[in-house]
Amino acid sequence: MSPGSNGTITAADYPLSGRRPELLRTPSGKTLDDITLEAVLDKTVTDDDLRITPETLELQAQIAEQTERPQMAENLRRAGELTRVPDERLLEIYNSLRPGASSKEELLKIAEELEGQFQAPVNAALVREAADVYERRDCLAADD
Amino acid sequence: MSALRAPDPQTKTSKRTEALEARPVNLDGFVDEWPEVGLVAMDSPNDPTPSIRVQDGRVVEMDGRTREQFDFLDQFIADTAIDATTAERSMAIDAVEIAHMLVDPRTPRVDVLRVVRGLTPAKILAVMKTMNVVEMMMAMQKMRARRTPSNQAHCTSARDNPLQVAADAAEGALRGFDEVETTLGIVRYAPLVALGLQVGAQVGRGGVLTQCALEEATELRLGLRGLTTYAETISIYGTERVFKDGDDTPWSKAFLASAYASRGIKMRFTSGTGSEVQMGSAEGKSMLYLEIRCILMAKGAGVQGLQNGSISCIGVPGAVPAGIRAVLAENLVASMVDLECASGNDQTFSHSDMRRTARLLMQFLPGTDLICSGYSACPNYDNMFAGSNVDCEDYDDWNTIQRDLQVDGGLRHVDEREILAVRDKAARAMQAVFEQLGLPAITDAEVEAVTYAHGSNDLPPRDVLEDLKGAQMMMDEGITGLDVVRALEAGGFRDVAESLLALLRQRIGGDLLHTAAIVGHDGEAVSAVNAPNDYAGPGSGYRPEGARWEEMKRLRHTVSPSNPEA
Repeated sequence: MSPGSNGTITAADYPLSGRRPELLRTPSGKTLDDITLEAVLDKTVTDDDLRITPETLELQAQIAEQTERPQMAENLRRAGELTRVPDERLLEIYNSLRPGASSKEELLKIAEELEGQFQAPVNAALVREAADVYERRDCLAADD
Repeated sequence: MSALRAPDPQTKTSKRTEALEARPVNLDGFVDEWPEVGLVAMDSPNDPTPSIRVQDGRVVEMDGRTREQFDFLDQFIADTAIDATTAERSMAIDAVEIAHMLVDPRTPRVDVLRVVRGLTPAKILAVMKTMNVVEMMMAMQKMRARRTPSNQAHCTSARDNPLQVAADAAEGALRGFDEVETTLGIVRYAPLVALGLQVGAQVGRGGVLTQCALEEATELRLGLRGLTTYAETISIYGTERVFKDGDDTPWSKAFLASAYASRGIKMRFTSGTGSEVQMGSAEGKSMLYLEIRCILMAKGAGVQGLQNGSISCIGVPGAVPAGIRAVLAENLVASMVDLECASGNDQTFSHSDMRRTARLLMQFLPGTDLICSGYSACPNYDNMFAGSNVDCEDYDDWNTIQRDLQVDGGLRHVDEREILAVRDKAARAMQAVFEQLGLPAITDAEVEAVTYAHGSNDLPPRDVLEDLKGAQMMMDEGITGLDVVRALEAGGFRDVAESLLALLRQRIGGDLLHTAAIVGHDGEAVSAVNAPNDYAGPGSGYRPEGARWEEMKRLRHTVSPSNPEA
């Protein structure tokens, strides 16, 4: 667990990049100081390094909670789960959630995938809730 | 019997009437209220009466509807935006009393937020109906999320010329815009124009955020590639029918919000009064009531901010009585639910300079997180967002109004020498990046032309087919922000490469995900977390002073003891 996860992070630590850079890592474990122009030029830093981790999103979610923004905290925690979903799949799931795009079964299958494959239970719950609402409010794909 | 006939306007009008008829304001469109189709600003007989019922920690009735009757927006708002633990207490407070809390500078912002999070859409509407525009401006001054106001520009080109967008972004960034936005005539041009915006903005000032307004999935794709650094065109609507016609639901949009955050990318939603009328399904409700539903949906999704203030539908509220008051009210509601507010003042709405200034002052005087969203940094004929309420020909007027009133609108006067220098540098940086990435060449003649140009009419036309092939190549080869960093360095623009890398590096820390975040001049995030609005009446809060005020005093022409002939 990062030092922030036991409640040591406060709004006074923001911005984390400036005030608590030691808490931040890229998905491959690099620090902010490792992200230099030289490293970009010799390709030891790649696009995959310019990504936020679930641990960092959790720290930011705690700051959102402390500043009385619970919905933002929830969004950042959903985001933490979605860091594990590849770009293309992320776009596909978004498109599947559009009105009339999916059957209830298809949405429930996506929820299972989110939960099982990507350890994303909060997003799975969001998709299940969508499946219910879409059924009640006629937003599911037509049968034919 | 007199020979004079009684005056008859059918046969003869007065000279004064002829003068009035010739005034630009009479080219504007005005309509009488028509509540049945939603052509009413903030007071429709069909707007619901505020009500709330909470059972077992859950909202079971809201504004006269039970859960079984909820449409999908009602359900989303009731379950995510409204604090069920405080709702009954908040709803019991009289609307006038809540309005007093908003206006009275001695009631701290945070106390207002705690009451507002328990209010339903109809109750918030009732509060707004008690307030005139001066009271709303007083409230906005306190409720704006970030301590300092800021501004956003449009940089577009009628010919989708990426070089023009780069030069205007560089000049705009130098003049003080913290965010710049583009969009396209030909959508396939997007990668090149987004690239121009990104490079130009970093030349003007490292840290200026850029975005490209496109269909949602395409916009996300550019963001994932690191070719843009924030997103805004995530549209939401106030009725279920229009939301579905927009091909989204609150759940798809909430998922999209998390998708952006999962990549460390700042984003806000967009909504505005009049969109439901324009899309033909307002359910007879007032524009403001429907917009409040949008604002609460955005709040519930956990997105940090909202662009509103009618935006591309401004002609609709602009045409009805009290419509511009309703537009200010919607900005205020976004701020009083603690969202970043990018407050419109964008699409052209009036032929009258007086009218467009009056509309502007509603946000300019109190200050909002982003006063325009955006201000056209190109001539209006180049503005691909259907023009803007203020454009690059208004720069000197804007700077003078800031100076006259000592109100910070986010911009500054810049000497011609500095402007030409950044336009030239942005164009040369683009020339180098195009060469490095194997895109169609930018000639020295183009660089020279764009440095001194006003708009696309002053530029040599580009080979559109070749450019589009280049744009396709960028997408096919998966060119990313880091490739642009490398191209800038290889082309001799190491400082611009460093600035762009610093901005992309922001994704790792996620500081820009917080409310009203921009990148300050020291390269660090400035948001409602580390720079919360601390206005508490006269003598408090942000007031332009010191170096910033000295900067605001500068205009193109001023007379002084040292310069008596100016």
